[in-house]
Amino acid sequence: MLEFLIAQIGQWLGEDIGASLAYISNGKHLAWYASVRYTLIAAVGGATCAVLFGLLGAALKQSSFLPFKWLGDFYTTIVRGVPDVLFILFFPLAFEKGVEYILAYVKCGAENVAATTGWPPCDAAQWYLSTGDYLVMACVSLGIVYGAFAANVIHGAMMAVSRGQLEAASAYGFTPRQVFWRFKVRQMWAYALPGLSNVWMLLLKATSLLSLLQIADIVQWAGRLGAANYFPRVGLVHPDWRWKYYLVLFLFFILMTMISERFFEALQRRASRGMAITGSN
Amino acid sequence: MYKLVLSAVLAVSLLVSSAMASESIRLCTEGAYPPYNYVDDNGKLAGFEVDLGNALCKKAGLTCEWVANEWDSIIPNLIAGNYDGILAGMSITDERRKTITFSDEYYPVAPSLYAAAAGNTIDLSALKGKKIGVQGATTQAAFAEKKYGADNTIVSFQSFDQSVADLMAGNIDLLLADGDPLIPVVEGSKGALVYVGDGESIGGGVAIGLRQKDIALADKLNAALTELKNDGTVDALIKKYFDKGPFYTN
Repeated sequence: MLEFLIAQIGQWLGEDIGASLAYISNGKHLAWYASVRYTLIAAVGGATCAVLFGLLGAALKQSSFLPFKWLGDFYTTIVRGVPDVLFILFFPLAFEKGVEYILAYVKCGAENVAATTGWPPCDAAQWYLSTGDYLVMACVSLGIVYGAFAANVIHGAMMAVSRGQLEAASAYGFTPRQVFWRFKVRQMWAYALPGLSNVWMLLLKATSLLSLLQIADIVQWAGRLGAANYFPRVGLVHPDWRWKYYLVLFLFFILMTMISERFFEALQRRASRGMAITGSN
Repeated sequence: MYKLVLSAVLAVSLLVSSAMASESIRLCTEGAYPPYNYVDDNGKLAGFEVDLGNALCKKAGLTCEWVANEWDSIIPNLIAGNYDGILAGMSITDERRKTITFSDEYYPVAPSLYAAAAGNTIDLSALKGKKIGVQGATTQAAFAEKKYGADNTIVSFQSFDQSVADLMAGNIDLLLADGDPLIPVVEGSKGALVYVGDGESIGGGVAIGLRQKDIALADKLNAALTELKNDGTVDALIKKYFDKGPFYTN
């Protein structure tokens, strides 16, 4: 397998390595490399949202006020069951329509909205979404979907925190809120991190769906660059090379996985300091 | 009095700024349909329609910004207001006229051609049980569905590239596509692909797709287009990208 790969890469580079290097560093390839930023922003932004939604969801699930508990259970049950592809398609569209609906009533007036059949009823209600807006939407969508998984992980981790620790904290006179934030949340990270690292890996993979939101991400560029070209005017004439470009994406995601594993190991060591659980030093 | 002057100044400045804002429009293309439109080596949108669109905007005194959009959602996103005009090798058809309007044509569309893998004998007069590939939501797709849909499977692809890739891979028996992008593919296949039959004449000319309510914009673009046709700019661009013509000058 490895020999085959090396042979293929050698063949791909060919005799004229200079020309190949010029090819893979031309403007559209640079645009491809630069589009990695969308993937990274969506991953980090999505993960931040997911942890926030996760904490909120876990807090709701633990609430002794029943409607809150139901809300938390509803969130983790329903959202975990919806495919991420569907959610990334649904949420930004629904949000855009919702905002435009409100804008229509505020800016165009209710009588205009009722009178027109087309959309939008007036130009002021048109919301044009730029790549940046879509990226924010993607982060929130990923956050909501993976926040439901994170909520379950965090909920489980909070349950795993030793009751004795919490009772001791109460006995020292900490208020219930202080016990929650300073003991339960502080100590649960050590139990939650292995699960959260799993959620992170899933979320990282889901960033490959960004092109669904008209974001020119690494996956879309790879497809574009790899597509066969028969016009010398367009650029280098080559047959269908998409597999080569997708192979590069494979390697990119594997590299990201390896970096993430190191990162979570370090995080785990830090979170487990002074705690009597396996994996601590 | 002071208040009156102030509000007048404010009203005028608002008018001016809205007038200036209306001078700027967004044009959309697919970016995957050479030589009509494609992404060049610099990673920028280029091609016949990008050059033509820029010339039109200059003539009409508009500031134009380009956006790329996938073919299958190109009309819905025009209606939704994501951009103001489509230049993407789009033929004028009655079906499309129901939802959008068109400018005058800027290119008389080439005949559509059939291509198949060499050695795969296909009799166009007796097509039965074949897989016929087309790009979805195109004039070719509608044509193939109507003519061959009953006895054959029509396979729709999201992009022209994808349809060619599947023909090369043997996933479809026959491909029906616009001649302009297809000819270089068949010629470049080194004998792997061959034409079948003489092709079909499908669809009207290629024109700019616009929202039905944007009559003023259509008039403005048509006036500029007429000038560019008369002074030979359009024919020069067609010669450059398609090596054909002239169509609009003698």
